[in-house]
Amino acid sequence: MASGEMARDSAIPRQPAGPDDPEAARRRRQAALRRYTRHPGFMVGATIILLLALLAILAPWIAPNSPLKTEMSLVLAEPSWAYPLGTDQFGRCVLSRLIYGAQISLQVGFWVVLISLTCGTLIGALAGFLGGWIERAIVALIDIMLAFPGFLLALALVAAQGSSLTSVITAVSIAYTPRVATVMRSVVLTIRPRPFIEASHAIGLTKLRILLRHVIPNAMPPVIVVATVSAATAILAEAGLSFLGLGVQPPTATWGSVIANGQAVITTRPLISLSAGLSIAVAVIGLNLLGDGLRDTLDPQMRRQTGAKML
Amino acid sequence: MNADLRSTGEHETLLQADDLSKVFGGRGLLFRRSRPEVRAVDKVSFSVRRGETLGIVGETGSGKSTLGRLLIRLLDPSAGRIVFDGRDITGLAQGRMRKLRHEMQMVFQDPYGSLDPRMKVGAIVAEPMLVHGAERSGIARRTAEILEWVGLSPAMAERYPHEFSGGQRQRIGIARAMALDPKLLILDEPVSALDVSIQAQILNLLRDLQRQSGVTYIFIAHDLAVVRHISERVAVMYLGKIVETAPRERLYAAPRHPYSASLLSAVPLPNLRAERQRKRIALYGEIGSATALPGGCRFHPRCFKARLVAAAGGVATTALSKDVVVPSRCTDSEPPLADDGNGHFAACHFPLDPNGAEARDSAPFAAGQSRRHS
Repeated sequence: MASGEMARDSAIPRQPAGPDDPEAARRRRQAALRRYTRHPGFMVGATIILLLALLAILAPWIAPNSPLKTEMSLVLAEPSWAYPLGTDQFGRCVLSRLIYGAQISLQVGFWVVLISLTCGTLIGALAGFLGGWIERAIVALIDIMLAFPGFLLALALVAAQGSSLTSVITAVSIAYTPRVATVMRSVVLTIRPRPFIEASHAIGLTKLRILLRHVIPNAMPPVIVVATVSAATAILAEAGLSFLGLGVQPPTATWGSVIANGQAVITTRPLISLSAGLSIAVAVIGLNLLGDGLRDTLDPQMRRQTGAKML
Repeated sequence: MNADLRSTGEHETLLQADDLSKVFGGRGLLFRRSRPEVRAVDKVSFSVRRGETLGIVGETGSGKSTLGRLLIRLLDPSAGRIVFDGRDITGLAQGRMRKLRHEMQMVFQDPYGSLDPRMKVGAIVAEPMLVHGAERSGIARRTAEILEWVGLSPAMAERYPHEFSGGQRQRIGIARAMALDPKLLILDEPVSALDVSIQAQILNLLRDLQRQSGVTYIFIAHDLAVVRHISERVAVMYLGKIVETAPRERLYAAPRHPYSASLLSAVPLPNLRAERQRKRIALYGEIGSATALPGGCRFHPRCFKARLVAAAGGVATTALSKDVVVPSRCTDSEPPLADDGNGHFAACHFPLDPNGAEARDSAPFAAGQSRRHS
């Protein structure tokens, strides 16, 4: 074709947005940021979690009293300036216990997400990507673990291990890893047949590199959402374990143990249990809002293509 | 039986396939139900010379894409042999095969799906170089060079694939495939997903690249017009077999296989008068299923020529149904891919006469072209 050269020249594309100057790049970054800041749920959730984190980190400076100091003269005191939420039956400041309790709850949430996200992602990705008997074995194992209610499994593990922060984190992580792995596997199954995976084989990438460079990055958005939401369930699980006396041992302040202590006097001093319950509710709602926000904003292109079902 | 198209001239054979077959499904392993066997590619033999372009044409389900993947071992053949650059690569272990990948690359049909949406264009094009151990310092320069080579601006390396149009993405796919300067490029319907105006640009780009680098193309398409534009030799596939192969001009001017003839008759002509006058050969029915191949010639249930030959009499015939009668040879024996003496191979018991009326009528594309040029 004689017009070949011409056709080729005219084919050099000009984006209407203009050339690739730093200005355009900055505008693209801003647009991406706006997706987050314009999402009310995401902003509320992120604010709540950020405030809770600040509270937990700055607990020694913020808390009005020591969470452990017992004041026998002030048992079950009414709220006052010195004790804004009153004291419990050992004369400890309830507000201070709640503020320090946030440390435990957020630590559990953080570590459980980190551990179950890492392990679940790897296990799920291997199962989905390798297929064959490896996949069948992993899926069978996951199914067995999912047959137990997550909380019961954690309960049994803590009961077997003894109660400490580490064992609570381990137990809850083990209980939640299969959930992340299931989601990961199903997302990887939707990615595996996509042409760019075959293209990676054609280029000469090893399976491991394809998994690390192409499969996992593309599978992350829905998995991150699941992980955020499971941080909420992990906090609930820790509170539940503490409530039953199987969590981090007394006298350490945790939200669950504050509820448990307050339960005995719930008719006369309902504020103790209620305030701890409210703290848990706020943290869980914050994380759920954050998860929903992430689901809506994490790379919309991606979401449309994988069509992955979120929890 | 084998159509050995090895060149007799000064060119060297780059790729040769001998009796290449791929069967999907079959007997199930433990726990797995057995699925019906699909003979996607059935004893295909051909060779490609260095620097030439072989077009492979066929309907959906003809096995052409499977064949392309077999040739570069993206799929493992069930039987047969592949010789690439004088080396048998049929049984090469995956690790050794990976090292050879930089010599054989592929461009995929789907320009939307074949690029990782989470990678920047620069990283996509650089990836094959990274994998095959190019020096890091050279990669950025080479990436910019290649992007420019395929008609994109090097500044676009910082963008993501979704910011590009289909034609631009296909350029990116071509850039990735050409990054390692391969000897062989399998083009699996590279323009089928693009607008016609963009198709021409991509085809011209491919031609320019070939001129500059001497790369060998195997161009897979279902569109005869596109293949004609770029190929020197064309092979027509039907249900896993090559039924005809010839130098481009000969195949388009005078197809010998009834299937090729009917495909050609479906190509619309640019000349309106010729378009109104030409005869079209309608095929009977749909492409058969590769799970239940007809016996003898696998084209006979749809063949117009078989019906004509049977109607003319003088041969033993078999009735397929109340109305359809075909020669017994077509149902009983599989025709070999036979040379007509001029390097024009066809697998047909009753090939079309290159000077006969059916062949002329069925090749209006050539007629239209010559009229345009005169």
